[in-house]
Amino acid sequence: MPNQQYSSPKMLIELLTASGCGACRAVEQTIGHVIDTLTELDLQIIRVDVVEEIDYAVSLGVRRAPAIALNGKLAFSLPPTEQQLREAILQLHGEQT
Amino acid sequence: MSFRIGDVAAQTGLSVDTLRYYEKIRLLPPVARNASGIREYGKHDLSRLKFIQRSQKMGFSLAEISELLEFRKSPQDSKPQVRSMAQQKLLLIEERLSELQRLHDELTLLGNLCRENQTDCPILGELDGGEN
Repeated sequence: MPNQQYSSPKMLIELLTASGCGACRAVEQTIGHVIDTLTELDLQIIRVDVVEEIDYAVSLGVRRAPAIALNGKLAFSLPPTEQQLREAILQLHGEQT
Repeated sequence: MSFRIGDVAAQTGLSVDTLRYYEKIRLLPPVARNASGIREYGKHDLSRLKFIQRSQKMGFSLAEISELLEFRKSPQDSKPQVRSMAQQKLLLIEERLSELQRLHDELTLLGNLCRENQTDCPILGELDGGEN
């Protein structure tokens, strides 16, 4: 759908995961909670398996899982708190608008 | 401080025959000798040998290395074609560095995944082409 229909531009949240990654589920929950509190923003979450997409993961600068990229740039190479993730999203949103 | 040929061989991993050969073909200038005629290598000789080894690992021929050594000794006086060759080799080295960095980053990621994974090892999976 065209961006003009939304009050804010779409933001892509990529969760970089791997099989057997114990911390990945917790980070996924963190992202879910944050998304639930930022309903005014157009946030899209995608899961990327770092082994299946290793070229992409390495090009992003990912060195471990879980990691989070926002709009195609590595934002967290370690699990963030909800507050840290919320602040990062809001800051990026502010830069986009 | 000076070193005998055996010491230099041990330090560099080169055989004494190779060291003598390098001197014979002038890849290494004539090594100083003591009163008994025994070679005494100085730090500049060692430095030059290490440069030769690094260049060989990059796949440069002895002829190319000989030219690079001239460039190394006197870059301001070097001939244009030697400078050009050195520049080409530099570009090649930068390409290799970039590839090595890429490989390093990939293995770092896989190694970290392996350490954190309780069941499967992603490194084995990657080596199998993802079929594991």
